[in-house]
Amino acid sequence: MGGVTKAQIGSFLARQGILIAFALFMIGFALANGRFLDPDNIMGVIRSSAILGVMALGVTFVVISGNLDLSVGSMMSFSTIVVLDLHDKIGPTMAIPLMFSMTLCLGAFVGFLVGYLKLNSLIVTLGMLSAIHGLTLTYSGGKNMDIIDKEGTWFSVFGQGSALGIPVPILIFVLLAAFLGILLSKTPFGRKVYAVGGNGVASTFSGIRRPRVVFMCYILSAFCVATAGLIQASRSLGSQNTVGQGLELEVLAAVILGGASLLGGSGTIFKTVIGVLILGFIQNGLLLVGLQFYVQFVVTWVIIILAVWLDIAAKRGKLWSPIA
Amino acid sequence: MKLRNILATTTAATLALAGAAFADGHGGYKIGITQNNVGVDSYQTTYEKAFIAAAEANDNVEAVVLDAGGDVARQIAQMEDLIQQEVDAIIIWPTNGEAVIPAVRKAHKAGIPVVVTNSNIAEAGFEFVKSFSGPDNITQGSRSAEIMCDKFKAMGIENEAQVVHITGQPGYTTAIERAKGFDDRLPEVCPNVTIVDTQPGDWNREKSQKVMEAFLVKYDDIDGVYAGDDNMGVGALNAAKAAGREGIIFVGATNFAVGYEAMERGEYWGSIYQSPVDDAEAALKTALDILNGKELPFLNYFDTPKITQGNQSEFTKPVF
Repeated sequence: MGGVTKAQIGSFLARQGILIAFALFMIGFALANGRFLDPDNIMGVIRSSAILGVMALGVTFVVISGNLDLSVGSMMSFSTIVVLDLHDKIGPTMAIPLMFSMTLCLGAFVGFLVGYLKLNSLIVTLGMLSAIHGLTLTYSGGKNMDIIDKEGTWFSVFGQGSALGIPVPILIFVLLAAFLGILLSKTPFGRKVYAVGGNGVASTFSGIRRPRVVFMCYILSAFCVATAGLIQASRSLGSQNTVGQGLELEVLAAVILGGASLLGGSGTIFKTVIGVLILGFIQNGLLLVGLQFYVQFVVTWVIIILAVWLDIAAKRGKLWSPIA
Repeated sequence: MKLRNILATTTAATLALAGAAFADGHGGYKIGITQNNVGVDSYQTTYEKAFIAAAEANDNVEAVVLDAGGDVARQIAQMEDLIQQEVDAIIIWPTNGEAVIPAVRKAHKAGIPVVVTNSNIAEAGFEFVKSFSGPDNITQGSRSAEIMCDKFKAMGIENEAQVVHITGQPGYTTAIERAKGFDDRLPEVCPNVTIVDTQPGDWNREKSQKVMEAFLVKYDDIDGVYAGDDNMGVGALNAAKAAGREGIIFVGATNFAVGYEAMERGEYWGSIYQSPVDDAEAALKTALDILNGKELPFLNYFDTPKITQGNQSEFTKPVF
């Protein structure tokens, strides 16, 4: 084992429990279906996970700051519908910035309620989940939104294009993850986010403007949602009003699976990305294995619980512990 | 959600008021309808508009139009309101086939005939219902199987074709019945075609696209895709186009505008034409027939014909 001591391995394992779990699932699925590790399949899974992933990046900030965001699913439906509608009315160059500003306004509103008015984020965003859904339906009149000229628009580049052989959604996801990862781990703002979520009172006494930090987290989250909506709209060039329905829970699952604490103060962008990939590969793996779909719900749950358990066990250094 | 319901309620109230004013003079029938979730999709939105239009066109009808917003509790409350108002008949689009039965029973006991529209309630409630009016999902499924089989025969691949099947939301009656119709009929008309895989697309285009991507990785040879509605069918089509897989025959159900357009482009083969206008008009007609004392069968299906690239010019493009 050279110079590597048992303790060093132990501490590495403790930090990377979720990576080990990820590796185990990948091996398991690869053994069950030979095509699972096909480069096309891997690329396809990451591409379709990119939408969930981009949203999860923003929610990571919100969760680390000690809050929740359950409104991201219906907010994503909103941005998708809005950008598709505006595309045919004012053209893509104008539609995209307008959609971003509208979504950021929603984020600012949530951020104001949670940050400055200090309302409970669960209640605020749960309410926004249905309020924004209603807003979307009112906007569209319940109709599916479709771009008329699907062949002749460059708008499809965000969801269907590729550069250097890599699909654009993956590029957006990776670039945004790198940028937000640096923002969270290397800048004063990032440290403030951890401080606010770790101990809000102490952070206030240290001179951190807590409301502003929380507000900014929701702005970031809304920005990520708008980006996800853009990819979604561009990928299918048409959408139902309910396209993002239920995504809020998948996003939260990915963030928590990545090891962020629901109580705030811990989590990283990198681990959120792993959480997103685990969810994406589970869905794809189960499809390829061809398990009957009623069983898939249960198996998905079992795999997630296993991953969380492995992560915790690695931190504790043993599989079972009488005390937490 | 809130805003829409206020809108729906005010519309209903206005209609009721307007109706009450003219009913005094005419003495026609007062028919109440509680819908599932108007605005959630274009089908239901168009249905409501068509129902109101049909009711207005008939001097004998005064309509009280309500929307449950997908909420079972609200629908039950609306049923009770309609019973209180002593309407002559109630049309219900169930939010949930089981949970609304007690409310339907109450209307039945109050002597108000109940017509179930679009999606039927659970069998336990049949004795309290006068009639069901809506599409026949099993027939729709078997017609889709016939469309696909006929196309395979025309292509000469009816002896080796492989089909994947993308269903609606697991547990939904419509999804289950269409799947059953398709799965039962296909082996009868094309015994050598195999259905190699079935997975749910949850009525969702994006989900269906993901499922199809996985199918394309898993199977080198896919000749046909049957999707439980066109929305999912187009999702699957997008996946095949992105993967550069050509020559796959796509057949759906409930022809949507996107499906109709894809058929015009020659990318999508066929579907089942189900008009929300026919659906709404059939519901109103069924209620009126009952009030006029006509003998009706329990199940009143309106026709949902086959539509393919070959005959689509006979149909107008769906508005949803």
